[in-house]
Amino acid sequence: MSRTTQAPKALRNAGNYIDDRFHLAKTGKKQLGKVFPNHWSFMLGEIALYSFIILLVTGVFLTLWFKPSMAEIVYDGSYERLQGVPMSEAYASTLYINFDVRGGMLIRQIHHWAALIFVAAMLVHMLRVFFTGAFRKPREINWLIGVALFALAMVEGLFGYSLPDDLPSGMGVRILQGVLMALPIIGTYASMFLFGGEFPGEDIIPRLYMLHILLIPGILLALIGAHMLILWHQKHTQYPGKGHTEKRVVGTPMLPAFAVKAGGFFFFVFAVTAGLSAFVQVNPIHLFGPFTPTSITSGLQPDWYMGFMEGALRIFPNWFDVDVAGYSLATAVLVPGLVIPGLIFGALALWPFIEQWLSGDKRHHNVADRPRNAPVRTGMGVAGITFYGLLWMAGANDVLSETFSVSLYATTWFFRIAVIVGPIIGFIVTKRICLGLQLRDREQLEHGYESGTIQQLPSGEFIEVHKESSEDTVHVLESKEPVSRIEVQAFDENGVEAPSSRGLMGRLRLRLADWYTRDNVSFEGVRPHSGHHLHHGAHEEEHSPEQDREEATT
Amino acid sequence: MTRNGETVKWITARRRHPLAGYAVVILALTLFGVGYAVIAPSAERAEAQTLAADAAAAEQQPSQEDVAAGREIFTKSCASCHGPDGTGGEGYTGPDITGEGAAAVDFQVSTGRMPSMDPDQQMPRKPSAFTQEEIDDLVAYYNAEIGDEGSPPVPTDIPHSAPERSDFEDHHAYEEALEEWETEYESYIEGADDTEAGMKLYLANCAHCHSWSGGGGALTGGRWAPEIHDSTPRQIYEAMITGPGAMPAFNDTTITPDEKQDMIAYVKDLQHEANAGGFFDLNRVGQVAEGFISWTVGITLIVACAIWITAKQRAHD
Repeated sequence: MSRTTQAPKALRNAGNYIDDRFHLAKTGKKQLGKVFPNHWSFMLGEIALYSFIILLVTGVFLTLWFKPSMAEIVYDGSYERLQGVPMSEAYASTLYINFDVRGGMLIRQIHHWAALIFVAAMLVHMLRVFFTGAFRKPREINWLIGVALFALAMVEGLFGYSLPDDLPSGMGVRILQGVLMALPIIGTYASMFLFGGEFPGEDIIPRLYMLHILLIPGILLALIGAHMLILWHQKHTQYPGKGHTEKRVVGTPMLPAFAVKAGGFFFFVFAVTAGLSAFVQVNPIHLFGPFTPTSITSGLQPDWYMGFMEGALRIFPNWFDVDVAGYSLATAVLVPGLVIPGLIFGALALWPFIEQWLSGDKRHHNVADRPRNAPVRTGMGVAGITFYGLLWMAGANDVLSETFSVSLYATTWFFRIAVIVGPIIGFIVTKRICLGLQLRDREQLEHGYESGTIQQLPSGEFIEVHKESSEDTVHVLESKEPVSRIEVQAFDENGVEAPSSRGLMGRLRLRLADWYTRDNVSFEGVRPHSGHHLHHGAHEEEHSPEQDREEATT
Repeated sequence: MTRNGETVKWITARRRHPLAGYAVVILALTLFGVGYAVIAPSAERAEAQTLAADAAAAEQQPSQEDVAAGREIFTKSCASCHGPDGTGGEGYTGPDITGEGAAAVDFQVSTGRMPSMDPDQQMPRKPSAFTQEEIDDLVAYYNAEIGDEGSPPVPTDIPHSAPERSDFEDHHAYEEALEEWETEYESYIEGADDTEAGMKLYLANCAHCHSWSGGGGALTGGRWAPEIHDSTPRQIYEAMITGPGAMPAFNDTTITPDEKQDMIAYVKDLQHEANAGGFFDLNRVGQVAEGFISWTVGITLIVACAIWITAKQRAHD
């Protein structure tokens, strides 16, 4: 056989046939060669994408047998323990999937684990984008789509959790109804509308089913499509490094290398999900039993992504519940149920625009920030994580209390205080750490890295030999840009107030912009490896660390 | 009487009498009829029987030695808090236990909660300080000298803990006792025929503290509802009728003994139900554990893989 670089004739003909008609070769070549930067944190969104594919496939399987009906039947299926128990068709058909459909239990568990991993992957992906500033211009729209995807995925998960009509399902739906009822004026109407009457009624499961398998997945799919198209068009951000510029993406081309990696990665995601599903029991609806309105149990939580709302509901005090003209305004439900998630998602959605407003930075950014180089943003991110994480933990306060033998009331009070104090501490500590890292970066840029080699000078003095950093490292360290800031000059030389700083908003903007940009270690004028103790001993008087620290805090 | 010169019994002489057969049938019917009437339950007789049984039990259980042994245990281990006559009160840290009933004594001592180290703390379940025989003696003493009339007695017909090997001298006797206990236990659990009633009653009355799985849960004021997986049916029953600690009492009028049996059978069946969903059941903690695993195992492994497949050899700096 002779070695040839030509494709087999049949393939070539098919290719030519298509190309003659659609002229795909040129665009195809260009698109298939699309470059993906090589860093693990750029794979996080892919985990979410692959989990979503797993969810779609397993979800289709489940719909073949699931009956979204609340009609009451007496169970006589093959699960012996519940024989003779009246239950809804939804619950009975889920038992049927578990015990009578071949592989049904496994598929159900894959669907559930994949859902847990899907939302987790979205969250870590979003955090990566946030901390590296990858949401900045030109990617604000994609960031907004991402926030919408995250919120929708939570709702999708909640509805899916409610479908089997087992004990946790019913309790989750009951909380949903409680939050609806807390809406001022329209609350009871909204609840009657959603449930088609009183709770639980006969309509809620068919309705949630429609939302869960049709409407929300449809929107998710469309938004994911848009998310990917925009990503394709705008290209990836990349971390600073040798040859990485705002105009040039460095990485692996899609074909052949990245496609192979991504394909392999899909199977790894699937393997972990399937492995968990095979060995770790998840949401054992057959053990919980069917939901009846009289049933209630302790130690039950929503799936993790609703945990922060559960926590907010658990710790928010009822001190602000008031009666308005004879109608109660249940702020203890309204605030944790709507205001807190509204704040979190609102802050996420607005952040890119707030940052732009404060920094006046309208440039395109294709090179990602190192988190330490945006100390306030990183600090805010950590504050947000702390707030969210504490609420999330508060959602498990009974389990924590039981597991660690702490008083339940003590956990409630701890979380009430910690959700306020924790983010502030988180912000301050993170910002300090970022500034410290910036100082170290500057030190390393100027003086090279500490080699660990100790030398004794003829004078008897010991020094640690600093060596020159690699070119790559220098690139990374030099990537720190001067902070762009809006004109903080509020008055011109004649004492006339600048138009942009007039009024309440103007003054607020100036204050915030100052807060946002004030603390930073300037790298201006720092030339790589120009410091003294690279070649000689340490001469502290030339460049004392105290000076650095002052610059950092002023 | 003689026949052929021999002396024969009166009955033998009449065996072949034409009426003998009828006589035997009538006799048998009478015996069965009267016997049935005596044995068959009726309200009056049932009461009479209960009284008789109580009398028998009272006669059988508290021999003077048992009561004396029980008194000794009480004096050594209980009286310092509950007082010499069990009324607690001035100068004693423990409560008055005269109205609590023998069921409470059996429950508290057999679950190891009493004697308590610290009366101000909720006691966890632990191995009992006494053998069942000693507890029985204590109950005998309690019944004889401390307990009020009408306070809940020990429900002796509900299966208790499995016999311990150490209580028997030879292995055979132990095995026999174990088998007997297993039969009793299974017939009690299987005797509950209404799963639905058991489930509904359990989920309406018990699960909001002890959780759907019987795994327990946190309560207000630093208390907690204990896990009930180690509890014997009798202990669960006793807890229901006496209401230990923060638990409300569910007397036999509120929830009948049959319903209690349904509930106990429901939670014990659930406990022994295999985990169809996989080898690891995460202690049936539920969503908190699942969320924890999805982060610590799921996402972590996948991210580790992402790091692996995108790793490149870095230039040393």
